[in-house]
Amino acid sequence: MNENRRQILEMLAAGKITADEAEKLLTALEPDAAATAAEFAGKLPGSGPQSQSAAKARAKYLRVLVEADEKGKPTTVNVRVPMQLLRAGVRLASLIPMQAHDELDATLSKHGIPLTLSQIKPENLEELIDHLEDLSVDVDAKEEKAKVRVFCE
Amino acid sequence: MIPSFAVLQVEAPHFHMPRLWLPLFLLWIPALLISPIVFIVIYGLSMAGRISPWRAIAVFWSILCGFPGTHVHVSTQESKVLVRIL
Repeated sequence: MNENRRQILEMLAAGKITADEAEKLLTALEPDAAATAAEFAGKLPGSGPQSQSAAKARAKYLRVLVEADEKGKPTTVNVRVPMQLLRAGVRLASLIPMQAHDELDATLSKHGIPLTLSQIKPENLEELIDHLEDLSVDVDAKEEKAKVRVFCE
Repeated sequence: MIPSFAVLQVEAPHFHMPRLWLPLFLLWIPALLISPIVFIVIYGLSMAGRISPWRAIAVFWSILCGFPGTHVHVSTQESKVLVRIL
């Protein structure tokens, strides 16, 4: 039990304060208690990713940054896509008639994209966002160097 | 919120275009006028594809409303392209 809470209850038991006064004092303590609990929860192992996940749930944009150096010529690409647009895009897949799914899957596979359209669901996107903390890919080719960063913000 | 402005800028070695602010909200009026025709077309296509026309409209509307905030900026040593949708 919290020390302040104990003191209030002891004062109530000793008759120094009334029940109403004790209630007011306990109520006044509550924000501190909530803050302390939140602070404590933040120190618990495993609570970090939860708070990060909550932060990512609020992510509004997907950002893709590419910094490439092609034969000494620097090229930068900065793309910011709203999450709302990505979600809508995923929902667009649900409009494709079921009859067309198999044909599309086969055509995509033939072109080196092993994708199953029926498995694209909005939940998958949320899962991807959860796992997409800060992805960074370094590409080293013979005369080209590129760094690709993908993250949510 | 549907897009109201688009910002476009293109710079090339022999071509320099000032930053253009395109008022997309001016397209709302003609879009509103042709909306009955668009609705009939979407309805017909949805029926042909055996999907709910309301669902199709909802998806297209959410795509349209998802565009604001899009930002694409590509720059090289000599050229630059910027597209923003507000």
